This record gives sequence, C-alpha cells and structure tokens, in this order.
Amino acid sequence: MATWKKLEFDNYETTDVLAKAKELDLSNDNLLEMYQTMIRIRLFEEMADKLYALGKVHGTMHLSAGQEAVAIGTGFAVKRSDYLLNHHRGHGHFIASGADVGKMMAEFLGKDTGYCRGHGGSMHIADVTANNLGANGIVGGGIQLAVGVGIAIQMRKTDQLVLTLFGDGATNEGIFHESLNMASIWSLPVLYLCENNKYGMSADITRVSSKLPFKDRALAHAIPGYYIDGNDVLAVYEFIKNAADHIRSGKGPVFVEAQTYRYFGHSKSDRNLYRTKDEIDYFKTEEDPISRFRNLLFAAGILDEKRASEIRQEEEVVIEKAVEFAENSPEPDVTKLTEWVYA
Amino acid sequence: MPEITYREAIHDAMIEEMRRDETVFLMGEDIGTYGGAFGVSAGMLAEFGPERVRETPISELAIVGAAAGAAMVGMKPIAEMMFMDFVLLALEPLANQAAKARFMFGGKATVPMVLRLPGGSGTGAAAQHSQSLESILMHIPGIKVVAPSTAYDAKGLLISAIRDPNPVCFVEHKLLYKVKGEVPTEEYSIPLGVAEIKHEGSDLTIVTSGIMVQKSLAVAKKLEAEGISVEVVDPRTLQPLDTETIIKSVMKTGRLLVVHEAVKTGGWAGEVIASVSESPAFDYLDAPMRRLAGKDVPIPYNRNLEAAAVPQEADIEAEIRAILSNQY
Amino acid sequence: MPTPFIMPKMDMDQESVTILEWLKKEGEKVEKGEAVIVVETDKLTSEIEAPASGTLTGILYKENEEAPVTKVVAYILAEGESPADVPTDKAAAPAAEKPEAAKPAQAEEKPVKATPVAERMAAQMDIKLEQVPASGRKVTKADVESFAKGQFGVEPRVKVPATPAARAAAQAQGLAIEGISGSGPRGRVQQADVLAAAQQPKPAAAPPLAGTSKPMVGMRKRIAERLTASYQNAPHIYLTVEVDMSAAEASRKRLNKLAEKQGQPSLSITTLLVKMVAWALKRHPYLNASLISDEINFWEDVNIGVATALEEGLIVPVIHGADKLSLSQINDHVRTLASKAREGTLSREEIDGGTFTISNLGMYGITSFTAIINPPQSAILAVGGMVRKPVVVDDKDTLAVRPIMTMTLSADHRIVDGANAASFLKDLVSVLETPELALY
Repeated sequence: MATWKKLEFDNYETTDVLAKAKELDLSNDNLLEMYQTMIRIRLFEEMADKLYALGKVHGTMHLSAGQEAVAIGTGFAVKRSDYLLNHHRGHGHFIASGADVGKMMAEFLGKDTGYCRGHGGSMHIADVTANNLGANGIVGGGIQLAVGVGIAIQMRKTDQLVLTLFGDGATNEGIFHESLNMASIWSLPVLYLCENNKYGMSADITRVSSKLPFKDRALAHAIPGYYIDGNDVLAVYEFIKNAADHIRSGKGPVFVEAQTYRYFGHSKSDRNLYRTKDEIDYFKTEEDPISRFRNLLFAAGILDEKRASEIRQEEEVVIEKAVEFAENSPEPDVTKLTEWVYA
Repeated sequence: MPEITYREAIHDAMIEEMRRDETVFLMGEDIGTYGGAFGVSAGMLAEFGPERVRETPISELAIVGAAAGAAMVGMKPIAEMMFMDFVLLALEPLANQAAKARFMFGGKATVPMVLRLPGGSGTGAAAQHSQSLESILMHIPGIKVVAPSTAYDAKGLLISAIRDPNPVCFVEHKLLYKVKGEVPTEEYSIPLGVAEIKHEGSDLTIVTSGIMVQKSLAVAKKLEAEGISVEVVDPRTLQPLDTETIIKSVMKTGRLLVVHEAVKTGGWAGEVIASVSESPAFDYLDAPMRRLAGKDVPIPYNRNLEAAAVPQEADIEAEIRAILSNQY
Repeated sequence: MPTPFIMPKMDMDQESVTILEWLKKEGEKVEKGEAVIVVETDKLTSEIEAPASGTLTGILYKENEEAPVTKVVAYILAEGESPADVPTDKAAAPAAEKPEAAKPAQAEEKPVKATPVAERMAAQMDIKLEQVPASGRKVTKADVESFAKGQFGVEPRVKVPATPAARAAAQAQGLAIEGISGSGPRGRVQQADVLAAAQQPKPAAAPPLAGTSKPMVGMRKRIAERLTASYQNAPHIYLTVEVDMSAAEASRKRLNKLAEKQGQPSLSITTLLVKMVAWALKRHPYLNASLISDEINFWEDVNIGVATALEEGLIVPVIHGADKLSLSQINDHVRTLASKAREGTLSREEIDGGTFTISNLGMYGITSFTAIINPPQSAILAVGGMVRKPVVVDDKDTLAVRPIMTMTLSADHRIVDGANAASFLKDLVSVLETPELALY
C-alpha cells in the first residue's frame, strides 16, 4: 500500500456548506446542480465500463470514477469562454463543461453522431467550437498546446484563460518544463491543473518523481504553485475561482496540483497489480468525493435521501438515453475515409 | 524585374503577410535582435514588436507545440527550427497534434501553422546540423511539405503556406540563401501541390528539389551543347506531390532520374519512382528508373567527405550518361 | 437552330441510299427546293432537294457512302448561325420520324459504333467512347489510343507502349515490336503478345491475282439485298410447262401486217405475253397477290413488270392495268419503257406497283430457267426462247415441227399452292395456244 502522506493542503476544507456557498455566491440550486453532475459523471464512467465489458467498445478507455470533485470543482469555476485542454482520463471534465453525454457515448461506440464523427474515440474527444480543444492521447500533449493558446489569448487581449489538465505522470515529461518556462517568461494566461491520482499507469508517483509536491516544480519556473485537496468539491471550486481571477487580471500562469484517486485501473487492460484492493476500498469508502459532498448537503438540509435517490434515477435515465442514442446511431461512411486529412 | 536573394524572398514573404494579416506571427530562437541564425528575420522585431516576432527559449518541443495550439485557436504562427535537424525534437507535436487534430476531431479543427526548416549540407556543420529530413515528414498524413529551389518559388510558396489552413513544413536549403533570382514586387503566390518544369527536354526526365535543382540545371545546360536534351522537373511541393506533371514528363521522355540530397534508403525518390511505375508512363519506359541520393551515412565534417556524401554535378552528369547509354 | 437536312425515305422497305454526288459542297449556299444531293436506290437515281435556304454545312456522309433514310445527312445554317451550332455526333442527330424532343429514355447513351478492341481499351482506360472522335465509321483502337495520348498532352518519344519483358522478347524473337498488337491495358504490348506473334507461321506470300475491283454499291447492292431477302423469305415452288407457240405466232404475224399498214410498230412476243399473262392472272387472283405482314393482299389491278437487263443491273418497268389494255397499247408501253430504261430516265411511277413479273431470256438462246420472285409479288414467269422441235400433234402420234417455248413459273408457296400455280399455267398455255380465248 502506497504511503498516503496527508500534506497540508492549500485549499480550505468545506465544513459548513451553506457558509461556503454564501461566500462563493452559489445558490442551493447551484449546489444541487454540482452534486447531480457529479452523479452523472460517476454513472457515465460505470456505464462506459459496462459497455466495454459487453464488448461494444473498440479499443480502450481511461475512467475517472473517484475524481469527480476535481472535474466539477474546476469545470464550474471556469467560464464557457475559457479554453479547455483535456487529458486522456477526461470524461468527467468534458461532462463538467456541459457536454452532451449522448454524443460522447456515440463517439466511444465509433458512431458518426459522436463528437468526432467516430474518428477520435475516447482519448481524442473534442468540441472545438465550444473551446474544448480535445482530450489528448499523448501524456502532456495539452501542456504543449497550452502555450500557443495562451499566446493567442494574450495577443487578442481577451479575458480568457486556458485550463490545461494533466496527470501526475505528465510532470515528468520534458514538455512540462518547457511549457511552464515559456508561460512564465511571457506571463501567459494558463491554468496548469495537475490531477494527482497517485499513479501514472502503474508507477507510484512518489517513486518516479524527484520532488514532491509538484508545486515546487512550478515555483522553480517562477510560477505560483499550489497543492489542494481534490476530493472536496467546494474547496476545489473556491480555489480554482481565485486562481482564475488571478490569471484573468494579467498576473500570469498558475499551477495547481489537486490530490485525488481513481477507482478503475489506468485503462481497460489494467489488472491493478500495483495496488491493493484494500487501498481501493479505503478510498471508495473513506475519501469518496461524492459521499463527502452528499453528507455535507444532508447536514445542511439541502438534500435528503428521497431527493438523492431521485437524482440518481434521473441521471440513470439520462445515461440510458445516451446509450440508446449511441447504439441507434449510424456508422461513419467508409468511403469518406480520407476526407479530413487536409483542410 | 528586381533580383533578390532566396533569404530576402523568405523575409519578404513573412513581412508582407504579417502586414496583411495580424494573426500571423513568428516564433523561434534568436529571431529578434540577432535576426535569426541565417539572418532571415533581420529587421522584423523592429517593425512588428516582441509579441509578433516572439523569441523563444531553446525549447523546440514547446515551440512546435505552442504553434500547434495557437493555430488551433485561429492564429497563423510561423515557427522556425534553427536547423531542420531539430525538428526531430518536435516531431511529436508536429505529427501527433498538428497533423492529426483535424482528422481526430471529425473535421472540426484546423491547424494553419508553418514550420520553417533550414536544412541540407555543405556548410561543414557536420552530422547533427546538416540533414535533409523531408522524407520523414512526407510520411505523416495531415502535413504538407514544401521545398523551394529559387527565390521566386520561395516567396510565392511561403505566402501560400502561410495562407494554407494545414500545417506546412517549409524546407529551406541553407546553401540557397545567398542565391539571387528575379522576384516581382507585386503580390503573387504559387499554389501548393504544383510542380514546375524548370528546363524542357525530351531524352530524360530529372525530378529533383532544393539545391539539387540548381545542380541538375547546370548539368542540363552542359549536356544541351552535346545534343542531349534533359527535362528538369521541380515538384516544389513534396507532399502533396504533383504526380501528374511527373508522369507526363516521363511518358514523354521514357527515362527517369530522381535526384535528392536526402538519404537514399527510405528517401522520397522511391515514392516518385513507385508512383511513375504505377502510372501509364510505365508503358513508355525505355530504361530502368534510377535515383541519385545522399549516401546512407551521417554527414561528415571533412569537406571532401561531406561533398562525397551527397550527389554533385559530376555524379548527376555521369548518371545521365549511363542511363542514356543503356548501362542499366 | 440549324435546319436538319434529312434523307427522305422513298420506298417502303428502303433503309438507305447511296450518295452518288453532292451537287453543293460544305459551306455553299443552297435555295429551298434546289437539288443538292444525287442518290441511288436499288431502283433508280434521284435528286434530293434542300429543305430550306441557307448555308450547307455539317455534311455527315461522303460520296459513295451509304446514308440511312429518315436520318440527318447535313445541316442548313440560317443567317447568323455558325457550324458551331451543329450537333457533332451522328447519333445525336434527330430522326425525321420523331420531331419532338428526345424522350428521357433516349437521353441514355446511344451505343457508339466502335470496334470490340476499341470498346475494351476505352473501358480499361476509363474513357467514354462518345468522346473519342472516330477517324472512320467506327471508333477504332487507334482512335482511342490517340485520344488517350491527347489526354496527357504529350507525344511520347517511345512510339509503342510495351512492357520491358515484351521488348526483350521481341528482340529475342527478331520481331519488330511495332507490328505486334497489344493485349495489355491502353493497348500495351505484353510479353505474351510477342510470344503469340512469334508462334504464328508467316503466311506464304501468295502471288496476288490480277484484277480490278469495284465497290458493291447502289443498284447492284440493292438488287443483291432484295433478291437475297426474297430467296430467303419466300419458299419458291417451280412449275415448268411447254407451249406450242405456232398459233400465237401466226396471230402475231397477221397483226404485224396490220400494224405495218397503219404505220404502227410491230408487236413483240413480250407484248403478247403481257396481254395473255394479264388475262390469266385475272382468273387466278393468288398469283396477283402479295403477302404483307401476315395479310394476303389481292390486287385489283394487274400491273405486269417486264424484266429489262441494263449494263449495271436489272430493272423492271411496269405496265399498269395490263388486263385493260389492248395489244397495241401494251406494245406502246413496252417499247417506251424499254427505251427509257436504256436511257435511265424511268420515273418512280414507271417502276412502282408491279403485281407480277415476266422475265424473258429467250433472246440469249436460253431454253428455260428459273427466276427469283420480285418481292412483294407472289410469282414470276421465266420465259425461254422458242425452239423448233418435233412434237406429237394429235392422238395418232403424228409428228410435226413446232415452235416450243418453255415457261417456268416461280411462286411463293406461302400463298400459292401447287394446284393454283398449275391451274394458272394451264390457262396461260391454253390462251397462248388458242389466242381467241382472250377475246371470249
């Protein structure tokens, strides 16, 4: 079992939901929307897993169940006009940004109605017109694009930022340093968000990284760096909102490492040999972000069992409809195979 | 018509497009006050400022990645690798991001970037600063590869490359920078994907690019005096290749010789020859199709060894004579 | 729109004519009604008039070529029109019988005339045959090849497309690659073609027979076609009979004396035959009938054609209503028609409408022969010359020398039975041997 060092987090644990919500100008409806979307992500990932087990998905998938708080906390804190550079475990972030789960499912099944017309699959899912510049199959792939997007925002003088997502493993890629260096010297509006779920593919991140927490790496590039609890959704939200404001005011990039955990293996071929069942169970029961938030909402009287159950059922229907849409969608046209090689 | 150098032609193409379109900007190492390693961007910082003539750290990977990212959101970046050899550091964002974004995202993205690549040997820069790597780039679907051989072609093609909505690798041969040629002052551009017959002939077709065009033309002129008529076809764009012009030429002459500085094995001469073999021109071949290319060796430092590693005029002439006298 | 100049159909079963002469050339002005083309059918020479005034252009059929009837053979441009307004494809020209716009079904590709090799080659090269200009009447392999080359716009230095293996094989076999036809795509010579050519034994150079040749066109061709059709379609039966012409000859001599006195030309055997055959035909309608599309038409008039030999072929002028004419009238007709036939000035009416034909080769010393029916008639009478022979003249077996003429009737067995034919001949023989019967 990996050593779980509870370092001091830079964000503030949510104890009183109502107080925090008031501070953050979030209504009860906002809170419930956040909760409902977290459920949607969880159910989506579970359904994706099931579809894969039924042999309906060609290739593999990287599921983010357990990381919903980071997705929702960040996704709700940034604006729709901000650019998103997603990573390969990005279904949650995509859903948090308002994606249509039907088109997502269709893309996994390789259908013509998917976000990428069946040409990209789970790892390359994108919605360019909605400023979602895609999930990336290359670890750190988005990190390199981030600088360019930041340059464009800066030259156009808008108040956008580019949210660049990556995992703990990506911080060891050369591009991580090249990108932070450039963003720093030019003060680019990049929000570097590292989701540390403790493992690269199978390697315990503490074993393969020279310096933890990663915020020190950011500091090495003169970029403010932070380490936050990624499983406290409102704490994430609060922190990211502040970071975004900092960036929008022209003060340059920010690096945030959010600590979280994933329940499913890295990909579908992962047999979880590198961690124990006990560890997984521990996080599922003690640290689960959805449970934590739900308990807080119960305590605040915003949510009760009955409504929670209804929400779950509503989202089950949403996911079922998405699957139905995807399964009934047509395949892409083989004769148009080379149509999008060149513009 | 005024005569300017190949270097100046590239410079002019960039500044003219940057004046016309404010989304065009230049990124690269030492392109600012230094004016670029080969002097191509001299004076540009003063005119356009540091945002648009953006000098970068030594981070080829991030330079190309940034260009791809900026292009994806609607800018038109021109990224420069100081030497073509360094594109190897940045193959990932070029091949995996820029080349594939449009396709992977179902036709909903465009990446209108240009990657300028000074390449080629002959300056004594040795193995890691002298390569001609266009064959590798041609192999990646989604990228266009352009290789001008004259000042006129350089300016016209670079303007088209900047305006093209696809990622374009623009290969400049270092030895050509100082070569002068007639270039109009009025606005013009040369479409990508169109070859040019630089010298008409009827006995044999040479397909060649970059500095080898100059060498081939010199040989063609020499042989003309002897009554040997060589047609020199300059594809100008290597990907997509204008196979139609090449096929027509070979159909006419019945003989083909492909000459390039890039290494022979896996070099694009094989691509040209295979394309011709698959075409109706096959029926009219009167000699085996041949190629003259860089030897399968890293470029050596010693001057003589360096020259021996790539085709020279004497080699081109000897090969033509051998083909015409049915030695193969 | 240029006026289409359509070749008229002048005969029921006529399909084409031979163009003998264009009286006006391409680009010359013509007047409506002016004779522009001289054509020959199997019956006679005719002049075709221009349907409109204007400039003659777009001539599609040359002299000595066959032109289909009811189809366009040229165009007449009005003022201000140019040859560019003329549709270029023969197949695209409208037919006279369908003046309305082509129906959608006809908009489909009409089969282009091309040789099988040309069709195959064009298909291989993905070339539409309609686009290939034909050097002759059909699109040939050479036409497709030059069109294909034209598509690439180059003149190859290497003249013959061939594979390396083919060229090597040709060299090894001592064959010229130019002489070998290619079975490969685009007409390319493959090794197999060379090997096959090497296999064929060279034909022993046979000394050519000396002689001249003449194209089979015009009247000759038409006759050939009609007689072939008749011979193939109508099952012929032949009945032969001998006639003692002494009474008929005696009668004719008396009449000729009369004619001489009146300053009239003398009556010929032909005249007599026409009169007598007409008499007999009136009594035997099946021999004055025609089978046309499953209908037997019994003609009211007896129009007897007299086969007349000309240098270029056979012509059959017709004496209309022979059953109603007197001998002298018939004689006049016979003489007039004969002279017109010799001069080539017979009119359409003088050729058309025959219901029975008499053919006489007696003047050549032929004693008997069989003739082929002139369609759509149902019978033809072949008459030989009179031969003085000993015959039995009474039931006492008395011999006498008499002028005997042998006649052979060919009848179309589809509508004429043996009995009918025999009965007709019996009556004809009777009236020739006893001419007074015709007065009765």
